[in-house]
Amino acid sequence: MEALSLLQWLIDGLIGIGLLWLAWRALFCPELFKAIVLFIAFGLLMTLAWVRLKAPDVALAEVAIGAGLTGALLLSSWAKLRDFDANKGMGVREKNRVQSEQKTKRPFFHWLSATPVLLMAVGLGYGVLQLSPYATGLSTAVAENLDASGVSNPVTAVLLNFRAYDTLLEIAVLLLALIGIWSLEIRPSVREATLDPVLDLLARLLTPLLLLVSAYLLWVGAHASGGAFQAGSVLGAAGVLLILAGWRLPLSLAGLPLRITLVVGLSTFIAVAVLMMLDRGQLLAFPPSQASLIIFVLETTATLSIAAILAALFLGSRPDHSEKI
Amino acid sequence: MGDFLLTMPWAVVLILLPLVGAIVCFLWPKNVNQLGLVTLAGVFLSVVGLGAWLLENGVYHHAVGGWNAPLGIHLYADGLSLVMLGITALVGLFVSVYATAYFDRVQSEQFWPLWLFLLTALNALFLSADMFNLYVTLELLGLSAVALVALAGGKAALNGAMRYLLASLLGSLLFLFGVALLYHTYGSLDLAILSEQIEASPTVWMALGLISAGLLLKTALFPLHFWLPPAHASAFSPISALLSALVVKASFYLLLRLWLELFWPISGSVAGLLGILGVMAILWGSLQALRQTRVKMLVAYSTVAQIGYLFLAFPLAMGAGVTAWNAVMYLAISHALAKAAMFMAAGNLLRFGGHDRIADLDQLAQRLPLTVAAFALAGVSLIGLPPSGGFIGKWLLLEAALMQGRWDLAVVIVLGGVLAAMYLFKVLGYAFTEASTPSKVTAVPVRMEWAALLLASGAILLGFLAPLILPLLAIGTPFDAFSSAQEVMS
Repeated sequence: MEALSLLQWLIDGLIGIGLLWLAWRALFCPELFKAIVLFIAFGLLMTLAWVRLKAPDVALAEVAIGAGLTGALLLSSWAKLRDFDANKGMGVREKNRVQSEQKTKRPFFHWLSATPVLLMAVGLGYGVLQLSPYATGLSTAVAENLDASGVSNPVTAVLLNFRAYDTLLEIAVLLLALIGIWSLEIRPSVREATLDPVLDLLARLLTPLLLLVSAYLLWVGAHASGGAFQAGSVLGAAGVLLILAGWRLPLSLAGLPLRITLVVGLSTFIAVAVLMMLDRGQLLAFPPSQASLIIFVLETTATLSIAAILAALFLGSRPDHSEKI
Repeated sequence: MGDFLLTMPWAVVLILLPLVGAIVCFLWPKNVNQLGLVTLAGVFLSVVGLGAWLLENGVYHHAVGGWNAPLGIHLYADGLSLVMLGITALVGLFVSVYATAYFDRVQSEQFWPLWLFLLTALNALFLSADMFNLYVTLELLGLSAVALVALAGGKAALNGAMRYLLASLLGSLLFLFGVALLYHTYGSLDLAILSEQIEASPTVWMALGLISAGLLLKTALFPLHFWLPPAHASAFSPISALLSALVVKASFYLLLRLWLELFWPISGSVAGLLGILGVMAILWGSLQALRQTRVKMLVAYSTVAQIGYLFLAFPLAMGAGVTAWNAVMYLAISHALAKAAMFMAAGNLLRFGGHDRIADLDQLAQRLPLTVAAFALAGVSLIGLPPSGGFIGKWLLLEAALMQGRWDLAVVIVLGGVLAAMYLFKVLGYAFTEASTPSKVTAVPVRMEWAALLLASGAILLGFLAPLILPLLAIGTPFDAFSSAQEVMS
């Protein structure tokens, strides 16, 4: 027992120190590519930290979105920047680097900005130490009402029932992010993906597996860790893999059909909200007997939309862009 | 009809209608202008409906999902929310009409979904009574505002949008951190429950600091205004109008609401600091505006200065109570109307001459009289000349300052008006003179000129509407938390 707790302390300490070290390295690494890899490593270690904190739902989200998809997005931006530099010739880049180095080497401004940050860190440290170790929280209230929520996983109950309104707006945020990026009119990448047999094989093998994992996460969300966001990001990862392997959405599907997939999660949420409003006079008030079904429908459509949005974010440009020009 | 007005859940319509509008505009971009205008008209009517409901029944409560706080989320509306919703719908409607003439086809397909998301975020923010839900609305607001700035494309707009994005995200994170501290301590995110339980402790002070810092960054109070001029000046003009008139007001509203509900009893002493920053914002913003050579930059710096006025109420409220808050709300809505009109007028100048260099405005007073009239009328309200909304606001603020013998603040209030007159007359003066190099001109659609002029007239009209608006503001006595503190003092 004694040895076990010592081991746990050791692991926690290593995770904590590792997180700080990786964050520091990622911030101050002069090479962009290395910094991104360090950031992904940070996300993976963070996942372990969440597991140790007994928050498996957060851990799943962290590994899928924080490390996985964010990492993929950063790497694809890096690739675009590299292509851009290659087209412009290295001269510009060198010049920029020299300029930025000159700019950053002004220690006075470094210290000027470091002072409020340090003050804040001290204040926060003090504030956090003053906190009572046990949060009052709402876990008792959640547990008491869990039976009426339609699911047995408290996290899902909060996200899809007690605070479903937050989730509705969160899905809107995700959709908005994509619409915002599309409105930047990014030109599709000129470089066609080279046919890589290994990648091709990997995509063929992994895609069905990812589909299966996604379906499982969606299904299991009702009573254990999982749910729409995790399932959606795994499904989105399958989309990213296919895009990397050179697959593109057929143009016939890239217009309205794609757009409908992107909004189906949010639209269903709104439709349910309005129906419940008409039926029971309260926004998103599910009758307990049908709550389970309603939540399943909401999660399924949300999974589709989240996956489509994440894969589209990775692609960056609008898939139907070419027909517009 | 009366029954219908009183039974419809207007608050819910106000949130869902623009959201549905955004989705429809995204799916079928063919008729975005018509779809968008219908949505805006619907939102406007819903605010009227909500107003009728509030006048009849007092404050509005809605437990979303049938779950009461602390488990669920509450929607809440009182006079303060109503006035903010009203000014949002009004300015939004005029800017939308303006936008239908301003944007070309592709641009309006991009503009409408983003703008309707922004409207959803604004309405949801004004109606929420839950700290985490407020954070989500802030995210929706910040992201849609940044995307709108970036629409203009080009180096200046993209740089401005990027800076704005970083400032906005940092503000949201600080806010969220504060919310987490409050939730840990009190086990609730509901404003009403928190306001009953909250008491001074190091954690609450930390939360107060983080939340206020985050919202001040989003409101662009001096010295956290660095992101505002590039973002507001480089965006398309109707978007600058929305950002300056509504978006910075939303975070200000939230700050005001949280101070009134949560932080006032424990932090009356820090209010002086906000007042000092407000004074510096007025002076710095006005001086910078005087130095600008382009109309849009000048108008953007004027926003920095006018935001300063909103914070003068914090040190004054301790002694003057409701008068100070009424003053500040009056200034906020007058500024929303006047500044939106001014940015729209600036957009007209840009369309007409292809530039907004102040020195080359080239006899615009003769050639674009409606636009110059709009600019001048909006200016009257910004300076605070009678009869205008800005005058009522400044008058009330002066009254509050003099009541407590705060001569220093009174001097700043007047000085800010004088400086505003100086930078605005600089623009108007050049509008009457002939430029040395005449430039090619393009016709400005009539709709764009009238939209600006009508909004500017609205800012003047506000000067006569105080007996109508102040009672609306008093529904549910949003400033009550403060008056009870005042009674304890006296």
